[in-house]
Amino acid sequence: MKTKKSLFLNALLILVIMFAFTASANAGGKVYKLGLSLAITGPTSDAGNPYSKGVEDYFKFANETKILGEDTIDCTIRDDQYKTDITKRNFEDYMDQGIVLYLNYSTGSTLGLKKDFEEEKIAVIPASFHRGNLENSNYIFLPVASYSEQVISLGEYVANNHKGSKAKVALFLHPSAFGRGPLADTEAAVKAGLNIEIVEVVEHGKDLDNTAMLTRLMSKGVQYVISQTVQSPVATMLKDAHRLGLIASSFGEEGKITFLGAHYTGGNDLIALAAEASENYFWVCSYNLTSENNEGTKQQLALAKLYGRDEKAANSHNYANGIMVAQVSTEAIRRVKAAGLEVNKANIYKMLNGMNGANAYHPYTTVGPVTYSPTDHAGVDMLQIYAVKNGAFKKVGVPIQSEYMKKIQ
Amino acid sequence: MSANSWLATGNFYTTYKQEQKTFSTSLDRSFFTLFLVILFAWPLLFEMSNKNMLVIDNILIAVVAVMGLNLVTGFAGLISIGHAAFVGIGAYTVASFCRTIGDTHIIITHFWPLMIIVSGLVGAGFGAVVGLPALRLKHLYLAIATLSFQMIFQWVINFASFFNQGQTISVGRVFWVTGKVGRDDHYFFWYYIILVVVVLLGFGIRNLLKTRYGRSLIAVRDNDRAADAMGMNPGLTKVYAFALAGFFAGVAGALHAYVYRGVGFESFTLHESIGYLAMAIVGGLGTLNGSFWGPVAIKYLDLQMEHLSEAMGQYLPSGMNLTTAMKPFTFGLVIVLFLIYEPRGIANWWRIAKSYTKLWPFRY
Repeated sequence: MKTKKSLFLNALLILVIMFAFTASANAGGKVYKLGLSLAITGPTSDAGNPYSKGVEDYFKFANETKILGEDTIDCTIRDDQYKTDITKRNFEDYMDQGIVLYLNYSTGSTLGLKKDFEEEKIAVIPASFHRGNLENSNYIFLPVASYSEQVISLGEYVANNHKGSKAKVALFLHPSAFGRGPLADTEAAVKAGLNIEIVEVVEHGKDLDNTAMLTRLMSKGVQYVISQTVQSPVATMLKDAHRLGLIASSFGEEGKITFLGAHYTGGNDLIALAAEASENYFWVCSYNLTSENNEGTKQQLALAKLYGRDEKAANSHNYANGIMVAQVSTEAIRRVKAAGLEVNKANIYKMLNGMNGANAYHPYTTVGPVTYSPTDHAGVDMLQIYAVKNGAFKKVGVPIQSEYMKKIQ
Repeated sequence: MSANSWLATGNFYTTYKQEQKTFSTSLDRSFFTLFLVILFAWPLLFEMSNKNMLVIDNILIAVVAVMGLNLVTGFAGLISIGHAAFVGIGAYTVASFCRTIGDTHIIITHFWPLMIIVSGLVGAGFGAVVGLPALRLKHLYLAIATLSFQMIFQWVINFASFFNQGQTISVGRVFWVTGKVGRDDHYFFWYYIILVVVVLLGFGIRNLLKTRYGRSLIAVRDNDRAADAMGMNPGLTKVYAFALAGFFAGVAGALHAYVYRGVGFESFTLHESIGYLAMAIVGGLGTLNGSFWGPVAIKYLDLQMEHLSEAMGQYLPSGMNLTTAMKPFTFGLVIVLFLIYEPRGIANWWRIAKSYTKLWPFRY
């Protein structure tokens, strides 16, 4: 009898505990599912790795500091090894899980899945800034100005600061959609009057030595090389140029080459790879850099410290890049909630499109506000030119916006 | 044959025709029919997510490709390490039509079975051309020749503007008798199409191997001079082995293009070629059922390693690099272990299991 009684009490206790758990789960607020598919391993993982950490840390921070009140964001992060097939599988999995916003990574997969995004009517923020992502697309939102705008801005900077006749420029591109993206737009800008001459377009391979290429460019009178690729090929080129004594000690130095590059060519990784050869490298980026030590970068470093990130990740502009995308996502959800709407795909899309004018969003990670509208899906339009001085990227002038990009659009 | 067609025990072949039967007993035929019924019926009984259907479709496409690779490498003994390029030829045949006539053209959307066959034939054509060096080259040298085809393919796709320089070329949604196949039914629909293709091509190989053309593949593999002396044409056999492999690969490529609704360069790289070779080795070279086991095993392993990495990543966020490295490490380890301990692949386990049941109810 006693055994029966104790069994009954135990069962009752279990029921009470189960009920308490269910009740607390309901009281815990809603969970909004997001998905991120990116290259944590494989090509471009040097950028993808800190990017994923930025996304992970900021969402954790947003949940812990209750930016969305009792509601939380659950963002699943998966490695796609820079392969579109795997990205597609990840995307399908996320859609099955009922995500309300999708974060993508590579140019190839963003272009490859564009039709799926349209059919699913889901807003997508990729890490790719390829302008082609926006063509025939309503749901892709670039975080910052496109690669085209970055390269053209560098071209404008060259044209404005070059002394003498028309500046001779070579483009050094990654042999992929990501690298080739800005070529046609830059050529269009030149046709529209941008005062530079594109002497040669080089698609780099996996060259370990660029001596032949650099001497060829010198023989053609090239004074500026604008890169649209990732850090390692640029580092190889810079080291060779340094060995050959070809790097300009100041911008536009005659008889030497001034090297410049877009977002994924620069950052601390470049300095680590190219060491002293990176000195005087000009780089355009929409993010605040920790080497500038401002309010935004202090918050970035504090976030990295909070979640135990190492120095390398904490100071990476791709970590800032990841944080920024997570910030925009969180803000869009917060605005949907504030408007008293249901947090779903359609309302997040609506809020992102309304992120302009007085509603523009100012994340601490970028050099300008995020402004989206139904006709403009490029987030931060401002670009900051940095140059390596004494082993660190330092600001050159104030943030700029491309003039010629507007002309060719 | 004895009167009891249900058991293998006690049955002896008395004619060549009997030996060439696809199913040696009625039990075999019944099991196979039941298996096919299950394959066709289960998606109707269990609801599957889009992701899981995509994974299954992907495995079946790999089965088609590996069947082709098994023909050339397993049955004919000609090493091909450019098989992904042949798959790519099939996919880019569809993509070329999309680029030329538009991805929503009726030929792409309504006449897709024709497109799949055309892709197979284009693959066969390329296979025959790439097979020509096999007339003069053997072993490692032939492997290098196929590798060079892989490199040429990659280079052409990556740089030719017609192929969008390797960027994704979209393929439109297809139509079935019920109308346009929408997003919800897409992977489900293609599951059945690929399954039919797998069954047809599987029976095709099975029947081919019963003919003189099929037997000559094996004869040339074992000793091409002896095959020549026996009146076979080793040169022609080698070329058509490559052509057949190209056909299978081309069909797989076209299916890939339709399932993924796009063709991008990175699905057909050397890494993928090595993946197909690994599937053929793990499954069992020179066996038809090995072409099924290999893709299932490798793709399943891949997926499970991903899940394991992800689960570990939950507990070790900063150790994510380490956990994601497990996938390529396991892939390599499995191939090495199979090469050392079971070079005949999973198909050999199947053979052992079958031979055990064949003798049933006797032990030997």
